[in-house]
Amino acid sequence: MINPLIYFLLFLKASLFSTGGFSNLPSLHQDLTGNGWAKENVFGQSIAIGQIGPGPNGLWVISLGYLTYGYLGAFLALIAITIPALLVLVISAGYTRIEHRAWVQGAMHGVSLVVVGLLLTVVWTILRQPGVDWKGLLIAVGAFGLASSRKVNILIILGLAGLAGYLLYR
Amino acid sequence: MKLQEPGPGKWQLFRIWASIGLQSFGGGASTTLLIQRAFIDKHKWLSIEEFMRLWNLCILTPGINLVALTVLIGRKLGGAWGIAVSLAGLLLPSATITCLITVGFSSIQHLSVVQAILRGVVPATGGIMLLVGLNFALPLIRRSYKEGILYLLASGVLIIAYALAVILLKLSVIVVVLGAAFLGALFFSSKSDVPLLQQEQREQQ
Repeated sequence: MINPLIYFLLFLKASLFSTGGFSNLPSLHQDLTGNGWAKENVFGQSIAIGQIGPGPNGLWVISLGYLTYGYLGAFLALIAITIPALLVLVISAGYTRIEHRAWVQGAMHGVSLVVVGLLLTVVWTILRQPGVDWKGLLIAVGAFGLASSRKVNILIILGLAGLAGYLLYR
Repeated sequence: MKLQEPGPGKWQLFRIWASIGLQSFGGGASTTLLIQRAFIDKHKWLSIEEFMRLWNLCILTPGINLVALTVLIGRKLGGAWGIAVSLAGLLLPSATITCLITVGFSSIQHLSVVQAILRGVVPATGGIMLLVGLNFALPLIRRSYKEGILYLLASGVLIIAYALAVILLKLSVIVVVLGAAFLGALFFSSKSDVPLLQQEQREQQ
């Protein structure tokens, strides 16, 4: 049974220690699968739906919330991604005073590095989703190539990938 | 640049943010562009310099940077009410639609056609995510390159080490993030006066 309070706190924790909308995935993956509250395949599904749906990137957790805990899960996820953003008010009050300190900049550089590391973890988690085989990896490479050209809309890339999946796996 | 229009009403602010949320598909870059168009170009409630200053604060904020930006712009244009209606406008309609897409998906996910399509879409999102990661890494690499080869090497090794710490050692993400901030303060404390994040941000734009 899912405990709603702990469930919410796990989402909040993941969001508080992330930046950019996706780097909360590794933490959620660890905690939710660890508690047996999420199946492995819901992560790939919710990231995919998040890419298809509107709004800022981080809304994939709404999908994760629904897939693991229904409407309540989606609602708790929404609250959990909204609260950390309010910290910007605290930061805007205090940061200008300390931004020039050397250790602050060093720590920020450290955090920027770990964010990249976490995004690599996200890639790893997605590519190890059930159902991803060598053909899937080729699709991933193709999507990466198309996306990095910056000429093709993300939705079109996902549409092509879906078509490829339909033709390859049906 | 002076502000040339009176501030927006609550309802107008809500509608602007809702349309930004609903129009942004496929990630943050398009959302940022829509925000700039709405608040800087169309209504002239913000200058680009102001926008950049707010954005720098958002990079430091945990969670989704765009949501933090929404909070700051909301506060500037309407105080506490501005924050509330801006957040509601950006998040409620788009989150509702995302949720409804998930509901629809749940009811058809057992179909073999849907499974097949998903087996194509999921790895594609992995490829796109790799690009997101590289976009984050690029300004860091450029900066490290300027600081010297050792700095570049150390940054690269640390990125890989942090990823492996989570994937292989299964260390808690929080421990890794806090450790990275600590190591950064210890080894990367820069002597330059220009805040690092501003440099990086300029290069990203």
